[in-house]
Amino acid sequence: MTRPTQQPPAGLARPAADAVRVLAVGGEAGPGPLQSLRQWAADLGVELEWAADLPRATRLLAGGRWDLVLAVLGERSDEDLTWWVDALRGAPGGPRLIALADRPSMGLALRAEKLGVLDVLALPLQREALANAVARVRSATTEVALPLPAVDADAQGHYALVGQSPAMLEVYKLMARVAHSTATVLVLGESGTGKEVVARTIHQHGPAAGPFVAVNCAAIPENLLESELFGHEKGAFTGAVARKIGRFEQAGGGTLFLDEIADMSLALQAKILRAVQEREIERVGGGESIPVTVRLIAATNRDLQDAIAQGRFREDLYYRLAVVTIQLPRLIDRGDDLIQLVAHFARQFGERYGKRIEAVSDRALELLRNHQWVGNVRELRNVIERAAIVASDGTLRSEHLTDELRAEEPGVPERSTSALPTLAQAEARHIARVLQHTGGQIGSAADILGIHRNTLTRKMKEYGL
Amino acid sequence: MRVEHALRLLPNLEALMPLRGLLLSSARPDARVQWGSGGPYLTVGKRDVEPGELARSMGAVLSVVAAHITALFGAYVEALERQEGNDAPGAVAALVGAGRLEEKVGRLSQAQAWYEVALALAETLQDRRPEVETLLAIGHVCLALGKYSEGARHYQRALVLSEAEFNQAGAVDASIGLGNAAFERAEWPGARAWYSRALRLTEAGNDRLRLGVIEHRLGLLDRQQGDLAAAGEHLRRARECFEALNGEAALEMARVLDAQGELDAALGRPEPAAGAFREALAWVRRDQHDPGLDVTIRLHLAELLLETGRWLEADEEMRRAEQLAITSNQTRGLVRIYTLLGTLRGRQGDETGFVFFEQAIALCRALEGPPIDEARVYHAYGLFRQVCGGADEARAYLDRASEIYRSLGVDAEAASSHDVNTSAAGAG
Repeated sequence: MTRPTQQPPAGLARPAADAVRVLAVGGEAGPGPLQSLRQWAADLGVELEWAADLPRATRLLAGGRWDLVLAVLGERSDEDLTWWVDALRGAPGGPRLIALADRPSMGLALRAEKLGVLDVLALPLQREALANAVARVRSATTEVALPLPAVDADAQGHYALVGQSPAMLEVYKLMARVAHSTATVLVLGESGTGKEVVARTIHQHGPAAGPFVAVNCAAIPENLLESELFGHEKGAFTGAVARKIGRFEQAGGGTLFLDEIADMSLALQAKILRAVQEREIERVGGGESIPVTVRLIAATNRDLQDAIAQGRFREDLYYRLAVVTIQLPRLIDRGDDLIQLVAHFARQFGERYGKRIEAVSDRALELLRNHQWVGNVRELRNVIERAAIVASDGTLRSEHLTDELRAEEPGVPERSTSALPTLAQAEARHIARVLQHTGGQIGSAADILGIHRNTLTRKMKEYGL
Repeated sequence: MRVEHALRLLPNLEALMPLRGLLLSSARPDARVQWGSGGPYLTVGKRDVEPGELARSMGAVLSVVAAHITALFGAYVEALERQEGNDAPGAVAALVGAGRLEEKVGRLSQAQAWYEVALALAETLQDRRPEVETLLAIGHVCLALGKYSEGARHYQRALVLSEAEFNQAGAVDASIGLGNAAFERAEWPGARAWYSRALRLTEAGNDRLRLGVIEHRLGLLDRQQGDLAAAGEHLRRARECFEALNGEAALEMARVLDAQGELDAALGRPEPAAGAFREALAWVRRDQHDPGLDVTIRLHLAELLLETGRWLEADEEMRRAEQLAITSNQTRGLVRIYTLLGTLRGRQGDETGFVFFEQAIALCRALEGPPIDEARVYHAYGLFRQVCGGADEARAYLDRASEIYRSLGVDAEAASSHDVNTSAAGAG
């Protein structure tokens, strides 16, 4: 394979002690807007390498460890930014990105912040701004390894019931009380708190000898959910290529776990109610009533009382399901369970990826503790799996965490754009946060902000959001 | 409102296809769903669409549609004027131009209709070059539509005419097209014969671009036939050809690097393979961005991660491809992405993965894509069912796939091992 550049992969060269390794990508026309960089490099203790274009930069990135990438964004700055964040994901050494743009908009700066970009700087690059960024990178290089605690060997399943926080002890007690009965259970809790793990554990410790069958009502297309639950006869509808036994029948003598039950249509809720009350079902396209004996456990992250009030959930079904209700706590309310879970997942994924992970660095732990964990244990699990994949020794460090977490890094010099924001910056930041909360839905965001949607649209345009 | 609900209210009319595209491309995942237990199974049908937002985006889409229709009308008027001015070759060129405009926006059947009108006119001319150009254009669009025999017929005619007229470039392109048609039908010896013929015709001249394309195709062919060393050599030569063009063939370079990544993966070298895919993405980014090619390369990277057991990263790569395919209206790409996501869930023993195959089939039907796409989904769905329960369903889906393959004149057994993503249709 011929390389256009004859120089050896610079990243493989041994770095000078303490030097921050910087890869500058100056666009097709060469260094251009970054001319002064070479002059500043020695003063700032920076080992600088240049890539004229993206393909060369990609080769250099793959060839060695870098601390920082300075990338000039083109006219499609948003797309370029996303491309760079993507390209640096998993690159050796977990380099941080500084995006450089001619006149970076507030929207670009906010999106960069959300993506975990170290900073967005305006061109021409100022020495002070670069020095600040280098200082931030350098401050993150000294981390102390802390041993992970031993984890309960009984912990099992994807999200495992690990932890002894008071909130979880209450959950365990309630589970123990219901496990030996056949009572229907409703498990409530935010996304990723472990509702299915609780359901499985209740089943495992319960009297039912049959299987545990889980159905995710939110995942299955609405037109297929009925046949998935109750089965169908061959030819009942287009695509019914063979007779299918539904999940109710599959779970005979065992437990049927209906996850995200609030996502079910009212018509289907009526059929579930009938199955629960009369203990019999009918396959789609079949006329025969089939008796079923299953224990039902349902779960949702929605407020069912609110759904009932809005007419989106049947009250009679709610009372059938909520014989016993278990409320799961959010991860941020579980205190030191977090470190137990980190240890559990580190061990689980260490085994999967052939690594022995026994410690976490102080900085990484601080980042994990400071994070909001909207996805709760599921999000933590993903973060630790990703860290386990990229970890090169037995310690999980901050460089192994996602950019989103690293963007929340405390105790380092502030990013240049965030020192005492102007009123407009604060407003733009708040609007961006609300839009993120609503998944980009302008109508809902306008409602939360208490302004007309046209005003919101105008402001979004003004701030480049 | 969920996209699956919104689509139910939209009749399947050709005139409404841009609206359908807008609906899909403006769909966003509900942020609250992302970490929910349904998050890993999220498909475009489970995304949300806001009617108000749709209304606001309609203006921009309508102006794109209007510009497209205006260009088509303009091409037609130009064809009339040329015809009236006794410039029939000019009229043919205008009609072919209209077809190319249709092809550019993914309206392949409409493109074919323009080319056929152009061909009828070109056949009456003494100068055969317009006819050759038109036949090459129809051949290309036929392959993209999965009409391999029809495509081959047009390329064959283009070859005969080119040779009669000593039109070497036309003969080379027709030979490459015939090779591609054979490749798509998994007729490896036929494909090799045509590519070799194209190579012989090209080597005499100094056409680096065509030479690179042929070397690339020969590399793909050798890989399909298991001669990995020869494949590597062809790909190396293809890279040399494109490198000599000083960045003017960035997308071709991306395709060759993509093939190199596939080859490294087949040789059990995952790190160089990932490096080649990432560099290929950089070449795509460097040039006029081609979202279709970007999606293809990301899918290959995801497949590599899947095969090496790096499921989390494979899933993330597929989700990035999905986002790109949705926002850039690459619906055929979406079909491939959901097929691969279903395959990933199958590897994980996750029965709920069937939702991805169902979504892929629904997209094939809603968008009336080439039947070959649906066959590939059914094939993968059958394999998934073999692993995740449902022997009867598995058999039925595999039978359905074979039936479609047969109807297209493709050897079902060979097609099942045929790499979907190296298809000539996507090779530009």
